[in-house]
Amino acid sequence: MNRTNIIETQHLTKSYGDFTAVSDLNLHIRRGSVYGFLGPNGAGKSTTMKMLLGLTRPTGGIFQIDGKSYPRDRVAILREIGSFIEAPAFYGNLTGEENLDLIRRILGLPKSSVEEALDLVGLTQFRKRMARKYSLGMKQRLGLAGALIGRPPILILDEPTNGLDPVGIHEIRTLIRSLPKRYDCTVLVSSHLLPEVELMADDIGILNHGRLLFEGTTDELKQEALSSGLPADNLEEAFLAMIDEDNRRPEEAPGRRTDRRTERQTDRTDPASARKRRTTGGERK
Amino acid sequence: MTLLLECRKLKRTGIIPAFLAGGLLSAAVPIINMAARSSSYTSLSGDPLTILLDSNWQMMAMLNILTLICTSCMMYHSEYADNGIQKMDVLPVRPFGMFLGKTFITALSLAMMILLEMASFALCMDHWFSGSDASSAIFAIPGASGTDFPVSGVSDSGASFAGLAFSLLKAGGFQFLILLPTALLMLLIASACRNIWISLGIGVICVFALMILPQDSLILNLIPFHTPYLTFPAVLQEEQIAPFLFACTAETLLFAFAESLFLKVRRCFS
Repeated sequence: MNRTNIIETQHLTKSYGDFTAVSDLNLHIRRGSVYGFLGPNGAGKSTTMKMLLGLTRPTGGIFQIDGKSYPRDRVAILREIGSFIEAPAFYGNLTGEENLDLIRRILGLPKSSVEEALDLVGLTQFRKRMARKYSLGMKQRLGLAGALIGRPPILILDEPTNGLDPVGIHEIRTLIRSLPKRYDCTVLVSSHLLPEVELMADDIGILNHGRLLFEGTTDELKQEALSSGLPADNLEEAFLAMIDEDNRRPEEAPGRRTDRRTERQTDRTDPASARKRRTTGGERK
Repeated sequence: MTLLLECRKLKRTGIIPAFLAGGLLSAAVPIINMAARSSSYTSLSGDPLTILLDSNWQMMAMLNILTLICTSCMMYHSEYADNGIQKMDVLPVRPFGMFLGKTFITALSLAMMILLEMASFALCMDHWFSGSDASSAIFAIPGASGTDFPVSGVSDSGASFAGLAFSLLKAGGFQFLILLPTALLMLLIASACRNIWISLGIGVICVFALMILPQDSLILNLIPFHTPYLTFPAVLQEEQIAPFLFACTAETLLFAFAESLFLKVRRCFS
């Protein structure tokens, strides 16, 4: 595993019967970065995140998180990750504060961490209210507080701004953007909206039908769009065109895409090969 | 630690009041029955505890099982309703530890229910059987009522109280142990069903489908949901106490093992 990458997956695959939700996924998430995981609904983002959290067992492939591998180091991995998957998860019969206190006790954190987490997501004044009686946005914030409590070195957030009002979206987006600097953590955040990811992420991974179509920075996405003849002035259009092109491709095409993708991924793990390809006129300029 | 967390999760779920209500309702059965038909029972020969168990336990066992079904479903409903269980799954907690925590709370609450029921029997014996010939029978037949206290020395009130308490504890302990496999199986069913109505339905169907089974076969008597209807004196009479308790303990461990397997397999299909 490359030491600059805190999360790496190798040929990660998840199948349900004859349906493949995630296919041969090779992710490289740099330490201290915000990685935006982008893709339409049903692309396999949540499934990938669930596999990283041990909620579902991969059908194939392996992954390492901070040098630890699943399933051997499952508990050690979970100790390092704060997560928010699909929908906020909490106990409706407990108050917001009691929910966070439960997590605090499991993680062995100081009492002050509950207050800090509540403050971070703006729930302090509603801490004594039963979580079941929270509004959708407040539940979302509680879920985020549960992920952020104790400042975990890795955060996995699945569409964290769902259900929030525009002000809430802006607040959470700013918070996520500031986390690597504030808490020295790495964030993997998923969304199906490119503009949202563009505002938060350092790196982007685009997933469609369980396959990784692109991995790199927004600049690299622009270059990729240009080289593929896709609109590069508007990244959202480029993203949509990329997804549309992938949807229209026949079944044999993924192999070709995988080759190009593998080259990019090799660049991330082996800078020497990237330099070599650049000097020999490879696809990356 | 896990047990403490499980206790905290029970806040405002109504599970402890449900156990208490179930225990009180069940404990009221012999009192109401005796109040309504005391002469029918006090005229019977035999020891009072056996008379009380024979005449009331079927109803009491059914209330115990129904309470168990409701509380098991409520316990896991609070986990599934707002996805709390998913949060636990992404925290460094052993899911089987959570199950064991719930099992311990259930077992403790069941013990409390049985204690209430035994206290109710004691009250009935004191109130309705104290003057009858049968009152001394409980001590007069060593073994038959679960007591090994000899006949001599029974006149001493301290010894008679200790003998009564011991026989009640023995009977209560037996009823508690034979309830455990049902408790574990119900928790296993509840943990497997996200929808409370499914687990509740399975539980209720099991209660009514299995209560009609005859009680004269050891194998049939070992089926969970049917076992709790047996009474200590009846099993003692058949001299099957040891194999029965052994089989119930084995069943309890088997269901705990089944849960640990289920938790492992669940990740492959989720």
